[in-house]
Amino acid sequence: MHISNSDVLLMAHAAAGVTGGLAALWVFVEVLNVRPANMGRVQAAALLSAVCMAAAWISGGYWYVHFYPAERALILKGPWPFAHTLFMETKEHLFFITAILAFLLPLTTREELSANPAARKLVLSTAALIVITGLALEGAGAIIDHGVKVALLQNAFTRAQQ
Amino acid sequence: MNSTIPSEAPKLTAATSGFVLAASITVLLNTALACVKDAYVPLKSFMRSLAGHDWTTQGLIDLLLFVGLGFIFMRTGVAEKINSNRLIGGLIAAVAIAGLGLALWYAVF
Repeated sequence: MHISNSDVLLMAHAAAGVTGGLAALWVFVEVLNVRPANMGRVQAAALLSAVCMAAAWISGGYWYVHFYPAERALILKGPWPFAHTLFMETKEHLFFITAILAFLLPLTTREELSANPAARKLVLSTAALIVITGLALEGAGAIIDHGVKVALLQNAFTRAQQ
Repeated sequence: MNSTIPSEAPKLTAATSGFVLAASITVLLNTALACVKDAYVPLKSFMRSLAGHDWTTQGLIDLLLFVGLGFIFMRTGVAEKINSNRLIGGLIAAVAIAGLGLALWYAVF
């Protein structure tokens, strides 16, 4: 078995991203029934979402800059070039939006949510946007991964026929 | 006659509203920058020369914009004057336009 640094970084990126999205979902659910007693959990989950998105940014960014070019070349020669030209290009820039929202979330949870309907609405909206854009990022990640897979399968199939 | 004076609905603090407005502007500028650097190669090359990769530079610009604008809006109280519902609607609209704009840009160009 061989697990390379590239594999570790990529898995760390995906795991941190999913955890950040789940933490935002946790914030959303807590805020639906917010009261002074659960404000601690709301703030902790919001902070967890921000920290996880920062971790996803650093791990994914390092992987993207140092390891992705080889996979990009493979995808572009394979049967699913749009996995890079559409999905990766969109994902790498959409990620910034999710990350900014995740950094905003802990700031919004400093408001007195149980007494302020506007603040509650803001936190619910921000958390929902993190979850929705996060799911789009995860889906795009799966398509990019499949773009590499079908390119490798095509190579293997061509070699087997020779 | 009802003599009670209706109390004003609680608003967002200057810090929260400032950073919400900063986030809305940052996500829109992020999409604009992604499109412009793609269409204008010298900009992409310049951004690459700043941090080794245009994507890294763009991320740093986004962070600086969010934090910088957030503090400016917080200190000046500009965002606090905006109605909370408008601020929240603006954030949702900004994220929708920016996200769909990115997908559309890369789908078409």
